[in-house]
Amino acid sequence: MKKIAIVFRRSPFGSTSSREGLDLALLSASFEQQVTVIFVAEGLLNLLSDQQPELSGSKDYIATFKAMPIYDIETILVCETSLTQLNLTSEALQVAHHVASNKQISQALTESDEVLVF
Amino acid sequence: MSQFIIQVNGSVYGDQASFHALQFCQAVIAQGHQINQVFFYQDGVSNANVLACPPSDEPNLNALWREFAKAQSIPLINCVSAALRRGITSEQDAKENGLAQHNCDEQFMMGGLGELVTGIEKADRMVSF
Repeated sequence: MKKIAIVFRRSPFGSTSSREGLDLALLSASFEQQVTVIFVAEGLLNLLSDQQPELSGSKDYIATFKAMPIYDIETILVCETSLTQLNLTSEALQVAHHVASNKQISQALTESDEVLVF
Repeated sequence: MSQFIIQVNGSVYGDQASFHALQFCQAVIAQGHQINQVFFYQDGVSNANVLACPPSDEPNLNALWREFAKAQSIPLINCVSAALRRGITSEQDAKENGLAQHNCDEQFMMGGLGELVTGIEKADRMVSF
């Protein structure tokens, strides 16, 4: 078992990066790796509720982020600085998470064996 | 000696990630380390397109990856779901999906994300491009 950190830093729209990152996160967890997911910058937008990806030609994979706890992804970190920069509140995000400082995120990355960025 | 797994997410053309990944792989081997597999994900799957046909005085990354993998006996694994979405199909995938053509280079094997994850577990270090 390895500690894998998956960082989401892109918007859910404009590219399929988040979708392919989510696929990898869920698969890694189902292969019993210890997975930490970290949302920074526009990656936070993946967690906003009431989105309609179908309107931009995408399957509604965004709802699947809610399945992360079912896959035993227990550590879900959201960057505090990014929340402020995007003028969002923790309550606007549809998945249970920890709001993490830069220092805490840095520590989570240090503690991981591998870091993958999407 | 360390065991590496390399992930390539950049396209066969239009992005330097794949070329950098190949250079890194060559350096890893030259330093006496081992590469367990190269895994192609996202737009990286386009590196398997045997129909990529750049002008003769430009690098052909499909050919370079194929030669490198053959010379070093390193498996090149393509994420099958990422590949099929982008029109990279093996002969078997083409048959199963009723497609008239296939274009995945024989040196590249179609595999699942599970192969990436088990590869990460076995390797000492993973590097993504």
